[in-house]
Amino acid sequence: MLAMQGFDHVKIGTWQRRGSHPGLMRSCLFAVLLGLGGMSSAIAAPIQLPPIVSPASQEHHVGKAIFVELITPDINSAKQFYSALFGWTYTDTNAGDTTYSQASLDGRAVAGIIQHTLPAGENKQPAWLSFFSVSDVDVAKKTALAHGAKVLRDVHDHPARGREAVFADPQGAVFAALASSSGDPADMLAEPGEWIWSSLITRDVDAGATFYQTLFDYEVFDLPSDDSKATHVLLATDNYARASANTLPTDKPNVHPHSVNFVRVEDAAKTAEKVVSLGGTVLVEPHPDRHGGSVAVVADPQGAPFGLLEWTQSDSKEVAQ
Amino acid sequence: MSVPLQRWKMISAATLFTALLSGCIATGGGYGYGYDGNIGIGQDYYEPVGGYYGGWGHGYHVGPPRGGYNDHDRHNYHGSPHSYRSPPPSHHMPSIPNRGGPSHSP
Repeated sequence: MLAMQGFDHVKIGTWQRRGSHPGLMRSCLFAVLLGLGGMSSAIAAPIQLPPIVSPASQEHHVGKAIFVELITPDINSAKQFYSALFGWTYTDTNAGDTTYSQASLDGRAVAGIIQHTLPAGENKQPAWLSFFSVSDVDVAKKTALAHGAKVLRDVHDHPARGREAVFADPQGAVFAALASSSGDPADMLAEPGEWIWSSLITRDVDAGATFYQTLFDYEVFDLPSDDSKATHVLLATDNYARASANTLPTDKPNVHPHSVNFVRVEDAAKTAEKVVSLGGTVLVEPHPDRHGGSVAVVADPQGAPFGLLEWTQSDSKEVAQ
Repeated sequence: MSVPLQRWKMISAATLFTALLSGCIATGGGYGYGYDGNIGIGQDYYEPVGGYYGGWGHGYHVGPPRGGYNDHDRHNYHGSPHSYRSPPPSHHMPSIPNRGGPSHSP
């Protein structure tokens, strides 16, 4: 306020006429340029995210979860955790105050990790976000909105990575759509330490499956289950299973619909033990799933949940008829 | 008022002005649901707390099926009303990819 009052007393035209304070003018100009410089860094171009696939592929698999990202309040801790657990290595990209760390396993990109501190008082937990392949993000947005979804982050471009947007489906589960500039990862069996599966846990499986079928043109198969209180369906494209949709357990009324992504492991029980030794927690104890191997749900030290799924080569073989 | 004092006031005003302008531009709009969209990347995603797990009782299976599920493994593929479209019974239920890539184990 004092400065603004002082500003009233200064007549810029007077300086110019008299030419008596060229130093003052230069100082002001310098201050403005300095401020603009700071401003330009604040609104600098978005961080340049790396491609999903390198070298680029010509493959596109609509409806496939092709990438995942973690927003975490402690990126260093998260990196150490996942490195110790799965052997991930990292390449950091910085822009301004933002650090984006691309995690890789044997040279293949497996995830992105982003530091973001929650504002004081915000009571939320970090989470992994799934990116599903689409051929046209703008069309996906239009379709999603027409069927009850909300846009959480509007369509935007990252040249090397592609065009993407983030949505909440009609029941509130968050997902991202990505048209990858470098193509999609090939349909290969995930290695241990790579993401192998994604499950939607939602209140109304029928409605959820219908929404995602509309968006991704999934084939939806009813999955056999001994659980009479829940519905389980399989979502498939290109003749491959892409995800499951499952009823949110009714005894967990406070749980929000969400997706949980699973990393392939060789031994879910041992991996869960290691999670705990690294500061994480076990949310669902390892137990057999429909394919015979175990699954578990764990959380990293910052609380981001993810799944563990055992899968052997023999699990891929056809069951003798 | 002395010239040095005026100078500092001018510099302060200019700095304040640009700082305020920076703040106006750099502050992102909120998207709700913990999605601030203000870190320049666009994946600012947090789950509401309460995302604890449990209730996965017997038969609560979330994983993919093994390869080779046959038509008889698909219950309700005919007759149960769904809002989604089910594939015809002749379609076998698929599994996940079972082949390794060039850098994957066979």
